[in-house]
Amino acid sequence: MQAERRISYAELWRACMAVAQRLRQQGLQPGERVALLLRASPEYVAAYYGALAAGAVAVPLNADAKPPAIGGLLRHCEARFLISGSGLEEPARAAIGSAACRLLPAAGFGMWTASDAGGELSDLPVEPAMPATILYTSGTTGAPKGVLLSHGNLVSNVLAVVAYLRLTPSDRILHVLPFHYSYGNSVLHTHLAAGATVIIEPGFAYPHRILECMAAEGATGFSGVPATYALLLSRTRLDRYPLASLRYLTQAGGAMAAADILRVREQLPQAAFFVMYGQTEACSRLTYLPPERLLDKLGSVGRPIADTELRVVDAAGQPLAPNRIGHVCVRGPGVMLGYWNDPGATRQVLRDGWLWTGDLGRLDEEGFLYLHGRASELIKTGAHRVSPAEIEDVLLRLDGVAEAAAAGVPDPLLGQTIKVWLVPQPDAQLGVREVLAHCRRHLPLYKVPKQVVFTAALPRTASGKIRRLALIEPEGQQTGG
Amino acid sequence: MAAATKIRAYILENYLFTDDETALDDDESLIERGIIDSTGIMEVIFFLEQEFGVRVDDEDMVPENLDSVRRIAAFVERKRAIA
Repeated sequence: MQAERRISYAELWRACMAVAQRLRQQGLQPGERVALLLRASPEYVAAYYGALAAGAVAVPLNADAKPPAIGGLLRHCEARFLISGSGLEEPARAAIGSAACRLLPAAGFGMWTASDAGGELSDLPVEPAMPATILYTSGTTGAPKGVLLSHGNLVSNVLAVVAYLRLTPSDRILHVLPFHYSYGNSVLHTHLAAGATVIIEPGFAYPHRILECMAAEGATGFSGVPATYALLLSRTRLDRYPLASLRYLTQAGGAMAAADILRVREQLPQAAFFVMYGQTEACSRLTYLPPERLLDKLGSVGRPIADTELRVVDAAGQPLAPNRIGHVCVRGPGVMLGYWNDPGATRQVLRDGWLWTGDLGRLDEEGFLYLHGRASELIKTGAHRVSPAEIEDVLLRLDGVAEAAAAGVPDPLLGQTIKVWLVPQPDAQLGVREVLAHCRRHLPLYKVPKQVVFTAALPRTASGKIRRLALIEPEGQQTGG
Repeated sequence: MAAATKIRAYILENYLFTDDETALDDDESLIERGIIDSTGIMEVIFFLEQEFGVRVDDEDMVPENLDSVRRIAAFVERKRAIA
């Protein structure tokens, strides 16, 4: 359901079937990609599961991305169809350009009714190994990485999460996370699998409204990233709202400050707080910290979910003793099939059946995982992962910029914000405002830098690669970490 | 300077990076047009509190008060009137 519109499972099922029939009628073959450019809404849900029911690989895209970026992904995944949501037909058309991809505008939930589409959907045998979805993530190089997940991947991950959150049909979750990211995707799948009610609240501009909505709807659950909770805590006391039904809160998407976790617990003692950790490459969920261990294991992201193995190894892949920091590797039924059309990138992270997460961490004597930063330079800001190379590419297109570097710098609210360093060309007249206006034209809002610095030179390795971590080192020291 | 003028100038400078007055209409939705996001709203509130000395309560943080230059200006005027 969304705002004032309530949709039953029976209606949702009919809408999904209508989408599936429409796709089949248009000639979709099983395994072909159906991209989705829709905001978090009931029509998104119908389009996503309708595409799966038709045997397609569903590829949700960021509705806030600029058309050239969307077009790049459509070509990358060789999408046969693009379903666009209300108000997004124009950017969808611009994104498709000359690509061999057909646009299917979905102007509202239920626009495609079964009678409209006609014909029965012949049963499609869905096998666990069949590809189900591609979720795009940011890599440090800026090249798109499409995480290909099978039906088996998704089902195993969903069942594990439903079990530890003890989700039931009486649960009601307020869903504020982007659907096209693995965390939001997982919240949707798990609650629908449990037959729960999903209250869709796209965007998170007004925390007071979110809390009022949770109270009015008798929400039993809420999921957020650290920035979501930091925003909720920044202006208000959570215990001012009648949230007696609230049973569980989940947090993933980067380390949340212990002080914030304790404040949430103090103000919402009725709700169990689940710290979780995962990765798109593993369907989303890898570990969770049982709420009853939250205080004595504060700072840990917990232990592996059902059927998943986790170990911390050295660079050669040898397991390390407890409390030694190394590379976090995992193995289990949620680990992706690979990166779409990128065997080279796949080989780098899938080795001998283990997924190398790129995260550094240690396991304590009881097997609880503590993360210690990332081996990569990916920027984590709010719920987003941003490739520094993508920002740099945009900056280099601005007249007067000779060299550019981007990196994440610590931010109390968002975890990190984007800072850029620019080397102007000789005699160039470059101002901060001009740089930011250029970024705004070419990037979605969350990728626009918060700080711009002009400098004479960038630190580089012997081979000429920018040493981004060297740029932020002094700041790390200033802020004590 | 009238509140609306100051607010428009602040948003043009900090979110649209321009002084072109035509870049923003007073009635345009700041969220729907993608001019500001959830953290931007917090920054705007901080600006209103600093610049106009008004106190923004939880209940005030709703789109009816904050989603366009005209709404923000009217909100600031109301707050000042009761202060």
